[in-house]
Amino acid sequence: MEMKRKKPVLAVPLGDAAGIGPEIVAKTAAAGFLEKHARPVIVGDERVLRLGMTIAGKIFPFRSADSLEEAAAGEGLALWNTGSLDAATLELGTVSPVNGKEEGDNLAACIDGCRRGLLDGICFAPLNKAALKLGGYGFPSEHEMFAHLYGITEGFGEMNVLEGLWNIRVTSHIPLKDVARNITVESVLDTVRLGYKTLRRAGCEAPRMAMAALNPHGGESGTCGREEIDVLLPAIGAAEKEGFSVEGPFPSDTLFIRAFEGKYDGVVTMYHDQGQIAIKLRGFHHCVTVSAGLPHPITTPAHGTAYDIAGKGICTTSAFEDAYALAARMALGDITER
Amino acid sequence: MTRPVIGITIGDPSGVGPEISLKALRNEEVLSSCIPVLYGDEAVLRRAAPIVGCTKEIVPIGGPEEAKEGRISVVSPGVLTGPYEFAKVQGQCGRAAFAYIERAISDAMAGKIAAVVTGPLNKEALHAGGINYSGHTEIFADLTGTKDYAMLLMGGGVRVIHVSTHVALREACDRATKERVLTVIRLADKAVKALGVPEPRIAVAGLNPHSGESGLFGHEEIEEIIPAIEAARGEGMNVTGPVPPDTVFVKTLRGESDIVVAMYHDQGHIPLKITDFMGGVNVTVGLPIIRTSVDHGTAYGKAGKGTADESSMVSAVRAAVQFARNR
Repeated sequence: MEMKRKKPVLAVPLGDAAGIGPEIVAKTAAAGFLEKHARPVIVGDERVLRLGMTIAGKIFPFRSADSLEEAAAGEGLALWNTGSLDAATLELGTVSPVNGKEEGDNLAACIDGCRRGLLDGICFAPLNKAALKLGGYGFPSEHEMFAHLYGITEGFGEMNVLEGLWNIRVTSHIPLKDVARNITVESVLDTVRLGYKTLRRAGCEAPRMAMAALNPHGGESGTCGREEIDVLLPAIGAAEKEGFSVEGPFPSDTLFIRAFEGKYDGVVTMYHDQGQIAIKLRGFHHCVTVSAGLPHPITTPAHGTAYDIAGKGICTTSAFEDAYALAARMALGDITER
Repeated sequence: MTRPVIGITIGDPSGVGPEISLKALRNEEVLSSCIPVLYGDEAVLRRAAPIVGCTKEIVPIGGPEEAKEGRISVVSPGVLTGPYEFAKVQGQCGRAAFAYIERAISDAMAGKIAAVVTGPLNKEALHAGGINYSGHTEIFADLTGTKDYAMLLMGGGVRVIHVSTHVALREACDRATKERVLTVIRLADKAVKALGVPEPRIAVAGLNPHSGESGLFGHEEIEEIIPAIEAARGEGMNVTGPVPPDTVFVKTLRGESDIVVAMYHDQGHIPLKITDFMGGVNVTVGLPIIRTSVDHGTAYGKAGKGTADESSMVSAVRAAVQFARNR
């Protein structure tokens, strides 16, 4: 019997090279954070990583390998040098199709590595959606891109984590006026299922979830919106029948206060900003995004490429560290289960 | 400096309004910054006083000009004189609460008080009492003949004014028109100036996630909000936006703007409750008189127990005094 559990192997793609990704990874690696929680394989061009080290003012040893097999096999901090981008041609803080293709290709290679059993999960530095699109990865968000690469067509989505509170939403990047018609008993129930499953996987054994109302004051008994009565209450009833613990629907302006106090493990929101406003205000520097519903844990800091400060070495690493530690914890759970 | 006379309506007698009104009147800041006058039935206040340990003399007065320091001056319409229950929807309580507001508005319109601070109402009690308004804001707009007004919330370093409030989310999207957004930007500018900021920096939130990402998900930014912002700039106002809804409040907390224009109720209320759950103030902007309010309801669960927190009432009085001084 193995007494000491094996550390998971996590890929750390540098993300969009024109953003703060390379410097964040350099800072985090230099602090020893990556090796503490998992066996890290940084993924990207060695020249880009070295540029990140220069910007961050951090020097540290790493093992550079030309293949994922080689990088993932050994001990210590490893780089899978993809040779995919010459840092000398890089213009920091600008959207570029070349960078977009490179960051997309590297992510795709990591997912391939997960599928081949070489990697246990991924924590990637921020991507740039506009660059990805120009580089041939035209997806509404990275979550659709990952699902596509896995060949998954449903039951996936974005979750956000802050201070141990998980948020999942029924709708995401759609016009606000289309939200109401996309709130159905089925879509709400699917969201609850995905949230529940993901929370369990992250080590929460009996998730307590709360559901936000769609309308102000929870619709006030139908006087300002009927979705609570017609859709959300039946959905909660159905979820309870499946054995889930879901309370609500609660007016969304006060729900997050109770949730952050620890009354719930997860909050189901109806639209993008309902949860995002609360979470970003509460802890902008610790928000983590999880791609839920995929075979492997994939996480990233919730912030973006921060082009305005790229190259200055002043970026904070806290959200990235939280994202990495969470991916490690989820991957460890997966390994233990196997 | 002479202290302004501030009228405080005690709200629905069945809720915590009378208790927090009396509690606020022992706050040093309140007593030193204004001359408070309560609008409520004497019998209701006499019942609430021992509950909150208020030992000051309660004196009914004929009008706010008779208010004096060192005692509780009450304009008592004498509507509710018989028994009533705590924590229960009662038509007579709704009618009484309405009468207090009516009298305070009339005194404010006549210039007898500098501002009205309102305690919490119960909408169902209003309706049970045959008063068919959906809330304070509508009562104030109607009784003062105001067409263009908006709800401003202040607290915890955030000021946020709303393009729409108590409507279904689906309908809120239709209300975000160029005309209305421009009106609310103008009201925002006026309100912040009234608080003593000479050149308000106004941040306008988008309606859609990421402000629609150039029309990728939602066109209201392009068709309504941006034209409104440009028109406001044309009028000389300092306006930025549309700013993505999930970062506009982070930025305003960093000091990048003086007020945020939110497109719908929860877009403004979610951040406000997070930054200031207890002490938020609600202001109706656009009225010919000053009106501020507590930012919570009747809290039936605490009514009659003396445990309700008065900090939102104190903040509402503070804001009323501030607006009155800059008028």
